[in-house]
Amino acid sequence: MKRVMGALALALGVCMTGTVRASDTIKIGMIAPLTGAWASEGQEMKRNGELLAAELNGRGGLLGKQVELVIEDDGGDPRTASLAAQRLTSRGVVAVIGTYGSAVTEATQTIFDEEGILQIANGSTAVRLTEKGLKNFFRTCPRDDEQGRVAAAVIQKSGAKRIALVHDSSAYSKGLADEINTLLSAKGVTPVFFEALTPKEQDYSAILTKLKAAQPDIVFFTGYYPEAGLLLKQKKQMGWNVPFVGGDAINNPDLVKIAGREAAQGFRFLSPPVPKDLDTPEAKAYMAAYQKKYGEAPNSIYGVLAADGFRVIAKAIEATKSTETPKLREYLVGSLKDFPGYTGTIAFNGKGDRVGELYRVYAVDAAGSFVLQP
Amino acid sequence: MRPFLEQCTNGLAVGSIYALIALGYTMVYGVLKLINFAHGDLFTYGAYLGMTLLTSLLLHERLGIGPGLLVLALMVMGLVALLGVLLERVAYRPVRSSPRLNAVVSALGASIFLQNGLMLVYGARYQVYPDVLPQTAFSILGLHVPVLRVGVVLASVAMMAVLYFFVQRTRLGAAVRAVAIDPDAARLMGIDVNKIIMLVFVIGPALGGAAGLLVGLYYGQISFTMGWTYGMKAFTAAILGGIGNIPGAMLGGLLLGLIEALGAAYLSMAWRDAIAYGVLILILIVRPSGLLGERVADKV
Repeated sequence: MKRVMGALALALGVCMTGTVRASDTIKIGMIAPLTGAWASEGQEMKRNGELLAAELNGRGGLLGKQVELVIEDDGGDPRTASLAAQRLTSRGVVAVIGTYGSAVTEATQTIFDEEGILQIANGSTAVRLTEKGLKNFFRTCPRDDEQGRVAAAVIQKSGAKRIALVHDSSAYSKGLADEINTLLSAKGVTPVFFEALTPKEQDYSAILTKLKAAQPDIVFFTGYYPEAGLLLKQKKQMGWNVPFVGGDAINNPDLVKIAGREAAQGFRFLSPPVPKDLDTPEAKAYMAAYQKKYGEAPNSIYGVLAADGFRVIAKAIEATKSTETPKLREYLVGSLKDFPGYTGTIAFNGKGDRVGELYRVYAVDAAGSFVLQP
Repeated sequence: MRPFLEQCTNGLAVGSIYALIALGYTMVYGVLKLINFAHGDLFTYGAYLGMTLLTSLLLHERLGIGPGLLVLALMVMGLVALLGVLLERVAYRPVRSSPRLNAVVSALGASIFLQNGLMLVYGARYQVYPDVLPQTAFSILGLHVPVLRVGVVLASVAMMAVLYFFVQRTRLGAAVRAVAIDPDAARLMGIDVNKIIMLVFVIGPALGGAAGLLVGLYYGQISFTMGWTYGMKAFTAAILGGIGNIPGAMLGGLLLGLIEALGAAYLSMAWRDAIAYGVLILILIVRPSGLLGERVADKV
């Protein structure tokens, strides 16, 4: 009997410490590429999350509790990401922000979904992520098919006849290239060049020589900024002047550093607005706070989209006075309208996609700045 | 014909860099029968040290572009060689008499340590070299070739020629070959095997560091993870040429660069690596010890 009582007491004790610990704070998870090839994006996501959590706690937190940001590193790699996601689920997070790459997010989706944890991705634009019928998955970034429509329109407006499409075989990049290809083909335009390069290398002279032989009027590269910067630089070294256009993964100031100002000048890309072009009063105040805390303004829009993800979750918890996923989901889909996000107004449709046009066209000027095109 | 020849110059430039790095793998394997997985990271250190020294000392402005870069290259090679010797002392010598797997794990650990150390110091972002060299191209026989590309090939070939002469024609070089063939017999002949191993850990990393500097100057963009890709390719080149064989590493590097460029141009861009590794497998089926490897690999 004594032993049974002891076991009971022990079990009770475990239960109690369990509940006490759970009610201490509200844990919001973040999964981000803190290391690896996209580490600069991940580090900014982290900064945004930590700044917002500190601000929120300064105002008294959520539902009278402090908010704790639990960050895990996905290394920009799907395998690392699935382990990171499992660690987050075991640490009792209410919702998760992230992550950046589509293939990486895909590896975490079902893990969070099975545990009934809300996920708001900030940089994963592959269409299929929200076409699987996962109830608890949202994203603050737009989808590739939306970008594809804008891209096809920009290409057609340029009047180019011979169009080259280059992607890097990643889920995001190939998805966008396929989308553009489909839209152009529907209008009777067949690209003269449609191939993939291998990312994370430094020598793209072979593909550039091959591209040049196809004599395109315009080249659309759907990959990321490190490769885009090298392509521009090596194109310049070859003395070739074809106009290059790119997708939103190229929106990073490091592009100009890598390519060099001369080579980058005139390059255009589609993107949600860059942080410095966010002009609502909320966004401006936030940029100032960020500048004050970290000594530099945010560089990447995806970090700010992660910030919007955080604020949407905070808003949902506040409005529903609950941390239960079904209630939060219902609020995000049904009740959240015209939420003043830093990147524009935010609302979600039933699939979890953000509603509304976000894409703009940017061009690199002679000083290496990204200038919003009218 | 013109695209073909241009692709050949593309391939030769990448290939000569693979060859420089491959020499480090092959020399260490030759004397220790160890794959130095950290070699790719020593290459990365060369690139980063080169960038730091270039931007802080501004030798190219003080001494003129030619002598300035030469002094810079010697400094980078010296520092990376020092790192190589340190690596051998700390990570490899203590496990030299242990089973081979221990050394492999130690090498992998050293690689991760070096890579993350670099990230902590420089940050995770891509780093960019200042533009000190002309980004122009010249035309020869209707071919459009960037000047820098020629410079990269010439610099690598010159270094490889010096190494070849050293190994084949000097007494010290003969000692390196002797240790590679049979360390115990070499010791009985009065060769200080430890000194020779240390020498190999000076030469290999110095060449790797020089390759890092060349990559930085040529491509402009460096990242702390780049050693992995280059290391993998150079390792492949070393095997292709016959691991342990010095001319083999040079041949393997150049050949791999050419196969990559031509495969990408005439078969498929996306299948470039698959084509390159496919050729490697074919060659290993026909010649298991690589193109120039004479001895069949020891079965342990």
